[in-house]
Amino acid sequence: MVSRKRFSVSQSFSVSQINQHRRGQLVELMADRHWDSILLYGQGWRKDYFRSLVNVNYCGPYAAAHLTRSGELTVLVTDPWDCDLLAGADAAVNYTADFCSALPRASAIAGLELMETRFLNGASSVSGPASATAELEELRRVKTLEEIECLRAAASLADCGYQHFADSIQLGMHEFELVAEVEGFLKSNGAEDNFMLIASGGTEVVGMKPPTERELQHGDSVITELTPCVNGYYAQICRTAVLGEPSKAQLESFAIFKEAQQAAQDLIKPGVRASDVARAQNDVFRKYGYGDYTGAKYTRVRGHCLGLFPDETPHILEDVDYVLKENMVVIAHPNTYLPLAGYMVFGDSTLITASGNELLNKAERKLFVKEI
Amino acid sequence: MKRGLIARMLPDEAFSARLDRVRSALAERDLPALLVYTDVWRSNQGRFLTNFMPYWNRSLIVIPREGKPTLLCALSPRVYPWIKSVTILEDIRPASKLIASLEQLCGERGWSKLGVLDLPKLPVEIFSGLGAREIVDVPSEGIAYPDEEEFSTRQVAVSQARITLEHWLGRVPENVGGLEREYRRGAAEDVVIRVKRREDGAYSVQVALELGGHWVKVTRATGPAEELTALREKFHEMLATGAGYRENLAGPQPYEPGTGRIFFLQVEHNGLYRGDTCGSGEHPL
Repeated sequence: MVSRKRFSVSQSFSVSQINQHRRGQLVELMADRHWDSILLYGQGWRKDYFRSLVNVNYCGPYAAAHLTRSGELTVLVTDPWDCDLLAGADAAVNYTADFCSALPRASAIAGLELMETRFLNGASSVSGPASATAELEELRRVKTLEEIECLRAAASLADCGYQHFADSIQLGMHEFELVAEVEGFLKSNGAEDNFMLIASGGTEVVGMKPPTERELQHGDSVITELTPCVNGYYAQICRTAVLGEPSKAQLESFAIFKEAQQAAQDLIKPGVRASDVARAQNDVFRKYGYGDYTGAKYTRVRGHCLGLFPDETPHILEDVDYVLKENMVVIAHPNTYLPLAGYMVFGDSTLITASGNELLNKAERKLFVKEI
Repeated sequence: MKRGLIARMLPDEAFSARLDRVRSALAERDLPALLVYTDVWRSNQGRFLTNFMPYWNRSLIVIPREGKPTLLCALSPRVYPWIKSVTILEDIRPASKLIASLEQLCGERGWSKLGVLDLPKLPVEIFSGLGAREIVDVPSEGIAYPDEEEFSTRQVAVSQARITLEHWLGRVPENVGGLEREYRRGAAEDVVIRVKRREDGAYSVQVALELGGHWVKVTRATGPAEELTALREKFHEMLATGAGYRENLAGPQPYEPGTGRIFFLQVEHNGLYRGDTCGSGEHPL
């Protein structure tokens, strides 16, 4: 049966333009590393380094935040309308059409690896800038209370978005039309952005991808990874729906995914290693004789962190030796191909608490069924 | 982010002609191959040459002077059949470590030098990994550059952007999601919608739309008729004189300040905005 439970749509709420906690962290980092200044670089794909300090959804092709060790912040944007986003901010804000020339020099750059080479001449100090990417990513992993509120709101929107997804599924609908419905819904309800993959069909489905013109058919598994962004923060939900009565194989397969995901969920707490969370999931597949389907040939990761980027590191993999910390937000998802019923997905955004974890998603943890 | 329908708008012959231009440029420079960087945002050049546009992550396209292009792909091999179905690419290699995979390919082919499309725009991580090999900048002008097919496909995209925005303009501030849904039902891959309000309630809506990998931008405003007329006249005046705020839409990424043979012009009048995608010379779009 399709769940008729309705989730309340979270409203977007205002957050601080400047993350003062991060500002303090970066000043401390600069003192520790003897850096005079740090530059947080943003472009169209990766806004997260910039937004970890200056949390506005810029739309220009580039943005940069330059912070000195004394705490002075200068923001550079490349679209005139982006200046409006920073009205009243505790920072000097400049628009430039010539980003390369206007980019201030810095001792270190977060996002350096993604920066266009031509910008380095403007942004580098005499000896060349250090990369602050790894340091900033580590600082970002443990969320502040305000960040957690954003992630709660995003998870709530993901729940509503998934329900809309499940309700919108129809026989004969093109995959891309279903995505259009969900994207429209999410934008109408406060999402800035959304990362979404989808697939439909049976045992021929080996992974997710952007939507195609394929028409949904009776008996299809319709799978999605839905990742709306609220105030810059992405929360994710992974669910599988069946169009029509599920087959025995679909039910059997989903039961394995659910058991694997629950094994991870039961384990997640501060002090646990990412590798152990991955192993807990994979061991369930091994128990049922499907260990071959836990590797790179059939799956990518067994989960990842969430925040200002929808696929933050560390990834949940058996070879990732990272100890999870309180107030990190992660998703453990055993998404993979199984010969029983094809690729399936299942997982929830999870806040790591002092004693364990809290599911941020409230959607039912089940195989969704769309009656026809 | 790209999450709509990724489709082909051109036949194989159009891509063959484009690749022939690349091979001519390589021959002129005595280069064995051209490296083209592409990622989820910066996909214009890869799309122009092969119709490949990653929905996630980044990849390298290597176009040899002899033979077919190779995609060094950070995406899973599980999606290679789909990539082949929407691109002209046949040789796709897994490349979770792009530079290592590029090294291997260069080693196999015995390439001691390599051309890079728009080298100064290459990400630092890729640039610094190119090693001791001789690297030659190959500017995109004349290669990944608007041709007749590009103007035609952008024309299709901008027509869709204009018609839909003008139809929805009165409903937008309260229903941005509805407008996005409409564009995506029309097979848009990506949409960015922004609203700028004036104190009296009038507003301007700017849409950046990606259709078949072709980015266009349009801005329209609501407000008193006489102001909108003045705004339209100012737009045409600035288009003719070369003034006004401009973005290049023909570069590697969707848009950036500057101008190009396909560009976005936006003008302001009393706090209202009008913008459109324009083509230079005989291609006004």
